[in-house]
Formats: sequence, structure tokens, C-alpha cells
Amino acid sequence: MTYRMTQKTERAQRQHNLRPTGQDVIHRCQDNPLITIEDLPSVCSDIWNAGVIRFQSEYLLLLTVETLEGSGCIYVAHSADGYEFFVEPEPFMTASEHGPFARYETFGIRDARIAKIDATYYITYVAGSESGERIGLARTNDFQSVERIQLISEPDTKNGALFSRKVAQRYAMLERPSAGGSIWLSFSDDLTHWGSSTIVLTPRSGYWDSNRVGPASPPIEIDQGWLLIYYGEKDTSAGPLVRLGAAILDRDDPSRVLARSNIPILAPRARYERIGDVGNVVFSCGALLEDGRELKVYYGASDSCICLGIGTLDDIIRVCRESREEF
Amino acid sequence: MVHKRGRDLLQRWEHNPIITLENVPYQCNTVFNGTPVKLDGDYLLLLRVEGQQGYSFFCLARSKDGFHFCVDDRPCMLPAEDGPFKMWEENGLEDPRLTVIDERYYIMYTAVSRHGHRIALARTDDFETFERIALVSGPGNKDGVLFPEKFDGAYARLDRPLGNDVGSIWISYSPDLINWGRSELVIAPRRRYWDSTRIGASVPPIRTDRGWLEIYHGFKMTSAGPIYRVGTVMLDLDNPGEVIGRCLSPVLSPRREYERIGDVGNVVFASGAIVEDDGQVKVYYGAADTSICVATAHIDELVESCFESADSLSDDFCRPTCPYRQAARSA
Repeated sequence: MTYRMTQKTERAQRQHNLRPTGQDVIHRCQDNPLITIEDLPSVCSDIWNAGVIRFQSEYLLLLTVETLEGSGCIYVAHSADGYEFFVEPEPFMTASEHGPFARYETFGIRDARIAKIDATYYITYVAGSESGERIGLARTNDFQSVERIQLISEPDTKNGALFSRKVAQRYAMLERPSAGGSIWLSFSDDLTHWGSSTIVLTPRSGYWDSNRVGPASPPIEIDQGWLLIYYGEKDTSAGPLVRLGAAILDRDDPSRVLARSNIPILAPRARYERIGDVGNVVFSCGALLEDGRELKVYYGASDSCICLGIGTLDDIIRVCRESREEF
Repeated sequence: MVHKRGRDLLQRWEHNPIITLENVPYQCNTVFNGTPVKLDGDYLLLLRVEGQQGYSFFCLARSKDGFHFCVDDRPCMLPAEDGPFKMWEENGLEDPRLTVIDERYYIMYTAVSRHGHRIALARTDDFETFERIALVSGPGNKDGVLFPEKFDGAYARLDRPLGNDVGSIWISYSPDLINWGRSELVIAPRRRYWDSTRIGASVPPIRTDRGWLEIYHGFKMTSAGPIYRVGTVMLDLDNPGEVIGRCLSPVLSPRREYERIGDVGNVVFASGAIVEDDGQVKVYYGAADTSICVATAHIDELVESCFESADSLSDDFCRPTCPYRQAARSA
């Protein structure tokens, strides 16, 4: 597959020092990695996957930080331009130590994804414990205080990605049950009780996403339906290779896949993506569509730093469409 | 009644197994894991039949006394051939569990497909037609049993998701039987015990004076494969996610030839029970995934088994109060 840069990408590259390492559809920001553990005001072990949202004219990330003890917690980082981030000194969310959530968060919390539904910001995160991994749901209005709502999956189901509005009058969420390694869709009337689960996207043998797939960023509504950035894993003798792909889901019935990229839109190639605590990983929990044309994908590299990749919506849709006959 | 060491609390019926493939009037591979209900004095047993093709479906058997059964000529519920359930049942229907709520009969069963095991829910009023309601879990989940009562207006079920590759019993609630949530861990496998590897709900919970009696299954992995046994746990009447007692020893273990030998040997797997007016409990169980058996105990004995030791939830086999230790000392 050949890739031709569009005018928009060239302009973006001039503006933001994007560097086309390899020929991925998503281009790396030259300032990558944007955030490393050096940027954190406290000592920690690792920094991973971030959810992203525009909040009060700022770019806001929810970072997963692994403490030296090995537990996960979530920090807020702010930026005026989406490139240079300031990390808050205190964590935004830590594992519950009391109350009904505590027994399911003993290994910590991680992988926050943000969806704005009406005027409320909903955060889905992974709660880990001896009992397995579950999806937690919390909400905030100000990113100062946060209120947990419910744990909304049984174990082992993670990667909860909420749709930003109701679909067919119901809340909808993509998720990744461990069994089978596929992306599923569930619905709810009240955000607490979920059902009508169905399968959306499965691993494809022989492809880059042959072993497991899962939702990366929450779905983004575009003219063609819902744009889903997802991650796919292929197992190698040295461990999994985790890459990002894209798919377009039907607007009214998101269990229908309209198009899906045969190729990854971002694969680990840069040094900071190859080398780290978990090397050969690019993993996203959030992306922003700007001016309806440019997609900013915030991603964790090697489970050790936060990076930015930018692509045009046109390019992403094109690679999805090119594989349309697969469906 | 004294529960002697080495003797299971549940007493096998002397003419076990009660149903084998010889009793099924059509060709099949095995028949096991039946769930009973008492209807106008008659016993109905919804059986899991595994066909020669290799997938399972359901068939009814009928009895006047709960021991001698006659199997229907035709299956009553086959994998869906069209509609939304088809793709989830392509590899069969397994392990039905019957619960009566407000005089309607609900069947939780496992739907099997290339995408894994899911819990499904169906309903019948006459045992002639079965109406599918919904698939009520994601993949990798099974052993769903519905409570016969609601809790603050919510339906409740036990099930067996896999967390960290460990199979534990969880509880979930629903306002409408379709959407489920507020899931909580109820009990997990116990190290060094007979239920150390994996556990799951077996019999739909039975209301007793002291709480909900749940007869569950557990297994311990050995070098020759798992040993499936039957145990008991008592759950709080108002808050069924809360454990108030759990057996230390199993109430039934594979010992007889028909439990040791079969397609999956060393398996006793309960999937339903009838509590008679005099307190006798008939527990129906699949033996070696090959036949259906029945064993009985008094309800009070089963309740007591959940409180075998004052601190039965702790890991206390080696404590000096342990009856086995005492027996060894006095010998």
C-alpha cells in the first residue's frame, strides 16, 4: 500500500514539526515524547495511556501513572496548544481504599477514557484486583473532583469506550471482554445496568491484528458514521506487537462495521515506541478531531511515555475504505 | 444424622443413574445436567442432551415420583435456526437452570458459539413453547442461576465470569431481566481445598430460614484432570451478595463407577433441586457428563453444612479444632 501525503498533512507538518517516520497514516510529532516521568512532580515508575478532551479552551489529558509500588493512578495534565503539557502535582484519581470500589481496585486504576455526554464528562477506567479487570465509570464536571458511579462490567472486561451521545435512545459502550479478544458493544438505559451485548470487531488471522483487538479512543462521530481508533495485537516470539488501526461503524447501528483498515495507521517504529517497560507498544485511550479534518491521537509508547500523532481524517477514511471489500 | 467421615452428606439413590442415553428415545451421545421443577405434583426435568453431532440441546423428562422418569420423544429446545440468537447458539445450548418467579418459568442456559460461552435467558408458561428473552452476559461467562425472588424490585442472578483466569461466583442485578449490573464477587476458590481451582453456581438458590442456600460446584485440578464436587454456601436473605456460611467439605464427590467413568470422568455436577414438603431435598446431578442421577438430604442437613465450623470462611484446616485432626489424634 502506498501513502501519499495530503496538502493538509504537509501544512500540519510544517506547523508542528511532524516527521513521517515510516509511512504510517498517523505522523509523529517531532517533540515526542510529549510527557515522560521526568515531567511528573513526584517519583513514579511509568506513565502510560492517556484519555483526552478539550476542556475550557485547554487540552486536558488523564494520564495513567504507575507508582513505584506498582499500582496505577490517574493524573491530569493541561496544555494550551496540545503539545506542551503541564502535569498537576497531585493525582486526580487514585485506587479506592474504602467503600464498595476498594476490593476491585487493589491493583490500582488505569487507562482513563473520557466521553462528554450532554454537559457531563464521563470517565471509564480499568479497575484491577485479584478478582480480575473490570470497567469502572466515574463522572466529573470540573476535573477537580470526581465521583465514581459504578463498576459496569464483570471480569475480565476492560477498555470501556463510551459513545458521546445515546445511540437508538440508549447509552452505548464499546468494550473488550478477555474471552475471544474481540471488541463488543453493550447498551444501557441508566449507565448502571448493561445488556444487549453483541460483537463488533474480531481479530483477523494473517493480519497485524490477528490475536486481540480492543477499542482505543472513544468513538468519534463523523459524516460517515462513527470513527473508531482501535488497537490490535499480533503475538510474536518476542511478545506482542501492539498497533493502532481504524474502522468506521454505522451511525445508527454501531455493531455494523462499514469499513476497517487492512493496515495499521500507527505502528511502533520510533525508538521511544520500541524501547520501554513494554516495548513495541503504541496504545491510545483518546483522540481529538479538530476542525473536522485533523485527528490528534494521544498515545502511550512502550508503556513509558505519552506521545502525539496527527493524521488527516481524509487519509484515515481512505485506508478504511480501501479495505471495504473485506466486509 | 451423623455425617461420618468419608461418607457424602448427599445420599445417592440406590438405582442411580436415573436417566442414561438408553432412556432417550432417539440417537444421542450423552444426557446430563438436568434441572427439575414440580408441576401439579408431577416432576419435570429439563435435560441437556448431547447429540452425536457433538452439540447439546434440551429435552424434557417426566416423572410421578421424582426418581422414575420417562423422556419425551422429541427435544423441546434446539439451537436457534434464525433470528438474533442464531449466531450465539451455533455450537449448542448447555446446562439449563429453571427458576420459578411469579408463577412463570425462567430458564438460564449457556449459549455456545465461536465467540465463546454466554448466558442466555428463556421463559415458558407451558413447557411446550419456549420464548427467548435475551443474552444476558458477555463471552466467557456461564453457570447463570436466577433467584426466585426480587431484591428491592431487582432481579438477581449468580454467575461465573473468569477474572484473572479464576472462575468465581458473582452476583448481578437487573431491573428488567435484560440489562444487568451492580456485579459483586460472592465467593472465590479456596487454596488447598477441594474447590481450589474453579467454582460456579449450580442449583438456583433455595430460600431457607437462615438464608439463601446455594448448592455450587467446585473443582480441584489434578495431574489427571479436574475433580468436580458439590458444595454449599449460605447467602444473606436480604443482601444475597453477602456470605454467611460456607461448607468446608463437599456434600457430594465422585465415588461411584458412573461418576468416575464417562465422557468426562470424576464429575458430579448439580443443576437443580426439589425441596419436598417434609424437608427432603432431591438434588439432580450429572455424573461424568454421561448420565443423570439423584441424591437426597434433609434441608436442615444442607443448611448445617454451610456452618461446618464457626470460622468456616478462614483457612483453618490445620487448626486443632479441625475434626479430622481430632480424629487422627484419638486414633
